[in-house]
Amino acid sequence: MFIDKSMTTDVISAGPEMSIAEAREIMAKNGIRHLPVVSEDKTLLGIVTDRDIRTAMPSAVLGQAGGAENRLADIKVKEIMTTRPVTVSPCQTLEDALLMMEMHKVGAFPVVDQVGKLQGIISIRDLLRAFVNVLGLRDPGALVGIVVEDKPGGMKKIVDAISELGVSFGSILVVRVWEEGKRAVFPYLLTTNIARVKKQLREKGFTLLDPMEWCLDEVAKT
Amino acid sequence: MKKTGILYDERFLLHKTGEGHPEIPERLSVIMRGIEEAGLLSKLVAVPVSEARMKWIEKVHSPKYIHRFAEACMLDLGELGDPDNQICPQTYDTALLAVGGILNTIDMLMDGKIENAFCAVRPPGHHAEMMEAYGFCFFNNVAIAARYLQYRWNVSRIGIIDFDVHHGNGTQHIFEQDADVFYYSIHEHPSFAYPGTGREFEKGTGPGLGATLNSTVLPGQGDEEYMHKITRDLLPAFDLFKPEIILVSAGFDAHAADDMSDINLSTQGFSWIMETICEMAERYAGGRLISILEGGYALDVLPELLKNHVKILLGLKEEQTELERKSHVH
Repeated sequence: MFIDKSMTTDVISAGPEMSIAEAREIMAKNGIRHLPVVSEDKTLLGIVTDRDIRTAMPSAVLGQAGGAENRLADIKVKEIMTTRPVTVSPCQTLEDALLMMEMHKVGAFPVVDQVGKLQGIISIRDLLRAFVNVLGLRDPGALVGIVVEDKPGGMKKIVDAISELGVSFGSILVVRVWEEGKRAVFPYLLTTNIARVKKQLREKGFTLLDPMEWCLDEVAKT
Repeated sequence: MKKTGILYDERFLLHKTGEGHPEIPERLSVIMRGIEEAGLLSKLVAVPVSEARMKWIEKVHSPKYIHRFAEACMLDLGELGDPDNQICPQTYDTALLAVGGILNTIDMLMDGKIENAFCAVRPPGHHAEMMEAYGFCFFNNVAIAARYLQYRWNVSRIGIIDFDVHHGNGTQHIFEQDADVFYYSIHEHPSFAYPGTGREFEKGTGPGLGATLNSTVLPGQGDEEYMHKITRDLLPAFDLFKPEIILVSAGFDAHAADDMSDINLSTQGFSWIMETICEMAERYAGGRLISILEGGYALDVLPELLKNHVKILLGLKEEQTELERKSHVH
């Protein structure tokens, strides 16, 4: 799951001399919030976000009073861009991007090759699309919540019990820490006959979780 | 008392799904017994059954899919696309008869021979997509009915109400771009139930934007939540849309006794829903309403649920229940 498989390659970018008024217009027109700034040979110089532009504008009030628009036309993208932004390489992975977004609290990374040329952009939207796919949410199915001891072999028993019924898996989510020594397993099953699956699991001694207690976050109870 | 039609044929029992499958012929047998033992069968007008003409099924399903379905039954392949959709050699013919019977029901209603009707059919339909069988469903009965009303009878505003505990993904997708067919569904929240669609933000697309409406109910909820959401969402929506006829995807699997869901609707809760729907049919559609069976698998409660359902269609008022008194207070 390398970034180059999920990134947007047809990147909309700006030159350093572009006015921030024009940059704002490009972002609004294309519904994007991140505009990489590149030189003529596509070397990444920086990045401008919609927030940078809002901050650079004198104020919303001045913006309406006129005159401010002209000044906006004078300010160049290179004056407000973030230089040396955090970037990723096409051969890093989606997990890298996900963890980095959490760490840096940003919504997108320019993707650059070894010599610093812009190859694409990977945004939180690309990651969401990938994870909607991973979760199997586009296939008709239903989730079941099971709590198991955190030891090897637990997952196999669940998969065996469900597979015995000829039911296919859309995905399996595992919440690492449910309570001390326990984890929660959420198979997304491609069947409407969920009553039969629950009955089978109960008969095999599994504990099913009350749907109102389901949680995909870490829910360590101390 | 209303002239209420009943669609039923013993050939609907010929679609066999095998062991461990909840969508079994006995569902219909117990339903019909419940209606008969309550003395209601003699009050109903029997609708004749015949095979549907292919041109109407093709208004919803692709010829390729129809052919695949027919072939799978002919070759006795056991399932269509997924083990959920168990088939036997008679499944295709049964599905054709069910659709044909529903179209006959429409003709009788539009000709004024009946005022409303209940169609006790198998297999169910609301999960079936244009090109795929899902969730025990092969032909989308209610969708074909709506198309037939549009093309054969030139009805311009059709309201579909789906109270099966599962979202009718097939019906929604077939009409999501159609402003003339309003699809309303109330079901268990899709994060907890099959098929995972029917979220409250799904409201139709393109010209059909606003003609799809979903109410979701969380696990463990029941009558109160249904009354709240139907009153909040469905009533004002249909007051604006003003359907000329109402089609109901009547699923009974939201009942507390039905283990297909975590929803705890009571028997009286179902009566309240149906009475509310019938009131809307009177208000906007001259009473024209056709109810088509979808899910509902708890054999011990189906007879009473369907007895009440048919009674309400006939306009035979039960004594006011505790629940109804409460609902008038709201």
